[in-house]
Amino acid sequence: MKKLLSMLLAVAVVLTLCVVPAMAEEPVEINMFIPSPEYADAVNELIAAYKEVAPNVTINYETTQNDYPTLLKTRINAGMTPDIFGTTSGKEIADYAEYSYNFAGTPAAEAMDPAVSAMMTYGDGEIHGFALKGNYFGMLYNKAIFDEVGIEFPKTLDEFEAACEKISAAGYQPVTTGFAEWWVYKHVMQHFLDAATDDPAALVAAFQAGEAHFKDYPVLYDNFFRFIDLCVKYGDNKPLETDLAGEVSAFGTGKAAMVTGQGPWVEADVTSIDDALQIGFAGYPVTDDPAQSQIIAGSDQALRINKDSANLDAVLDFVNWWYTSEYGQNWFCDVAGVIPPISGAKVADMQIIKQGAELAAADGAGALSICYSSDSFNQAMGEAIQAYIGGSIDKDECCAQIEAKWVELDGAKG
Amino acid sequence: MQRPSMSPMNRKALRDTLLFTLPAVVMVLIAIYIPFVMSGYYSLTEWNGISRNPVFIGPANFRTIFSSGSPEFVNALLFTFRFSALFIVFSNVLALALAVALTRKFRLANFLRGMFFLPYIMSMTIVGFIWKFIFTQGFEKLYEITGWGVWNLSWLGDANLAFYSLVLVGVWQSLGFYIVLYIAGLQAIPSEVLEAASIDGANSRQRFFRVVLPLLGPSITTCVFMSLTNSLKVFDIILALTKGGPGGATYSATLDIYREAFQNNNYGLGSAKAIVFFVIVLVLTQVVLKVFERGEVKQ
Amino acid sequence: MQAQVERRKKAAHGAFLVIVVLLACLYIYPVFLMVDNSLKPFKEILTNVLALPSHLEWANYGYVIDKMEYFRLFWNNVVITVIGIAGIVVFSSMAAYILDRRDTRVTKALHTFIITPMLIPFQTIMITLLKFMNIIHLNGTAWGLGIQYWGFGIPMATFIYFNFMKSIPSEIDESAMIDSASTFQTYALIIFPLLKTVTATVVVLDVMWIWNDFLLPLLMVNSSPSSKTLVLAAYNFVGSLNTKWHYALAAMVLAILPSVIVFVFLQRYIVDGVVAGAIKG
Repeated sequence: MKKLLSMLLAVAVVLTLCVVPAMAEEPVEINMFIPSPEYADAVNELIAAYKEVAPNVTINYETTQNDYPTLLKTRINAGMTPDIFGTTSGKEIADYAEYSYNFAGTPAAEAMDPAVSAMMTYGDGEIHGFALKGNYFGMLYNKAIFDEVGIEFPKTLDEFEAACEKISAAGYQPVTTGFAEWWVYKHVMQHFLDAATDDPAALVAAFQAGEAHFKDYPVLYDNFFRFIDLCVKYGDNKPLETDLAGEVSAFGTGKAAMVTGQGPWVEADVTSIDDALQIGFAGYPVTDDPAQSQIIAGSDQALRINKDSANLDAVLDFVNWWYTSEYGQNWFCDVAGVIPPISGAKVADMQIIKQGAELAAADGAGALSICYSSDSFNQAMGEAIQAYIGGSIDKDECCAQIEAKWVELDGAKG
Repeated sequence: MQRPSMSPMNRKALRDTLLFTLPAVVMVLIAIYIPFVMSGYYSLTEWNGISRNPVFIGPANFRTIFSSGSPEFVNALLFTFRFSALFIVFSNVLALALAVALTRKFRLANFLRGMFFLPYIMSMTIVGFIWKFIFTQGFEKLYEITGWGVWNLSWLGDANLAFYSLVLVGVWQSLGFYIVLYIAGLQAIPSEVLEAASIDGANSRQRFFRVVLPLLGPSITTCVFMSLTNSLKVFDIILALTKGGPGGATYSATLDIYREAFQNNNYGLGSAKAIVFFVIVLVLTQVVLKVFERGEVKQ
Repeated sequence: MQAQVERRKKAAHGAFLVIVVLLACLYIYPVFLMVDNSLKPFKEILTNVLALPSHLEWANYGYVIDKMEYFRLFWNNVVITVIGIAGIVVFSSMAAYILDRRDTRVTKALHTFIITPMLIPFQTIMITLLKFMNIIHLNGTAWGLGIQYWGFGIPMATFIYFNFMKSIPSEIDESAMIDSASTFQTYALIIFPLLKTVTATVVVLDVMWIWNDFLLPLLMVNSSPSSKTLVLAAYNFVGSLNTKWHYALAAMVLAILPSVIVFVFLQRYIVDGVVAGAIKG
């Protein structure tokens, strides 16, 4: 009996010894569920490249744009938090903090562009996200139309109105706005927020506390609404029906001279309509001071790592590889064609990105103030401005509605 | 004298009843009732849908809905009722008219029925995409060609027009279903009845309103009931076509619940709204069903 | 005189035909436009939506089929749909049979219990549904999703079967009972075959629904290609191509094509007044 036992023990030991080395190569699965399906092809290439580096790691990549936050919440609540997921950066960093890994100090965090990691910060120096891309925000314009009309891109609101008049007279649609999309408004509004104050973060916080009012900020109360009015007047035939697709086709087919609310992400779609299109990129005309017409740089989307992931090490290895390996670093520029969210990487050969980099270097870039508010608020704000454009409420009602939503949705709860 | 216990016959009947309905009951329980009750619990909490710990707050969410008015929810309810009313009227009247036409005997009848049914077999969201394409791209071209003002109206971008566009698309998608139901009802009317009416000298209009329509009672009840439940729950087409816009003008009750729970991160309040809405739907459908059943001619 | 009346009747019938055919064409025109434009190069869609394609751009379809792994996902859809339909048909017809034949307080209550969920908006139970399905391990797989459809399909199917059941005389099962068949035998061997037509209706309606369903698969099946549905892939695809109408339209056509084919083959059952099931009685 004893003999049998010891034999069994020996077998067990041998088995264990055989299994342990095999464990190292045990297949690992990483579930990655992130928004931005426009980069699906590029991400798939990245994953394929990582398969060569770590053949035992399988990355289940899933992406969707519509309803992404809903689906993410549903999965988190069902106890199926993806290993890598996405949120907006800034305000939303805190909402998901209890699920996300703080990777301050990792090689990936070290490699990250400080402007990007600033948007991912939570509490005291914790870094709760990384980015798929950096981003620029500003207005796009058709250089050929501006040359033909013989004007420069407007840097003040008066110049903007004059430019619209001239372009209109030359037979083009001065501007296409995409006012059917709620998120276009937040992209436009942030330029005015930056111009309204030296400290947009504090201003937004004051709005959220119910202490600030549009009327006290002429840049918001007068200039912003003047800009919206001008955009409606000189813009699309059916403003509230024109969405991103409508803007792209109006701009790509050379019908419209300027685009609001969009950025580098539309360049590929626009040039697929007309590959010879010369796209200009500039800040919004927000006041009478040309110096305040600035582009905005930063990263509005954050990718997060689930801190309770069963394969946390494997996930970290992947992210570190992505941010620090030669392939990973070049991927941003060569494969995805985006602004690298890491310091010192080369810049992609895209018209908008190149001009963005030049403008940011020459004139500086404004703060990414959309991130001070949640998307819940941004959507409600978009709807309020749509109602204003549609004529069902007036300017004061619109301002009151936005102020109320700011408090209701982003203010301290309870 | 009454027997104190059930007869063996009755007991067997009861056992059969339970056994035969057990799978259905269990599946409905699992898929719908249990999650619904769980939602009921969340309606008593304050929860953003993200954090791990919902805070129990009792009926406060319901108080929010009823006392502070919740204008968005009220607007969404009104929108839903208006939508349902138009949807029910149009889909039933048009479906009945087309069903009458398509029960005539002619060679193409079957094929045409198929054509009208086609949109129904496409998913709502795809229907939404198709119409978005038509409203945006198609109408623009039609305006270029014809110069008629109707094509140049902003059918999705104007608050009032968007409402009618949604009704149009909703009716378009599901009309075929109601046509088929009415055709079935029409074919079930014994031809002797119609012949008898003809012999009595009734013309075709009289025949339709005095004989056919009353006999169609059960079909009408079914179609109205189905169109009512479907239109009250309208969601997909709105999401695909207007997303509740422009300016929040086309939020239906379900879309408002969705917005509250998932966009505004008030899952507790959203669940409370869902329960209030469910009660409204329940009462409304029961009332409509009773009214129509009473109106039916007993066969 | 007689001839004149005949002629007028013929003319009226001709006019009626023309009107109905025109109406049907107008009705179906949006679908035609979708197919039409899915076969055009991108620029042609932008310049002229209403025209026919200058040449058929089949490459749109090739690209889409390749990108969304069409045939593999097609199989997932088949699995989900077949499992779903089988359970819905069997369980609903069983329940409807007994609920119609026994008229007691218990059956009335059960009837209400089974039918009422038709009124519950799906959005209200989304989060808790996924939570619960995760607990009982029905999420994440094609067969699990198929089973979930039982619960969602049974209320409506029972409603339809129940109404149809009234038109089957109860003498039929009484005579079977006299031949000492059990209730189950009576149902399986005698009643169920009589339900053939209404079963076809339920199958057609539920195939259309399950095949095209979006929200439930979106919640329940993960990214893995072994469980993802075709329609899900098509939607993601359309979503990521928001401005590229040519691919988006081709993906939409491909997503609805299978249900159109099923419909064409089963159309007879629908149109032969089968849905009378929902009405008779």
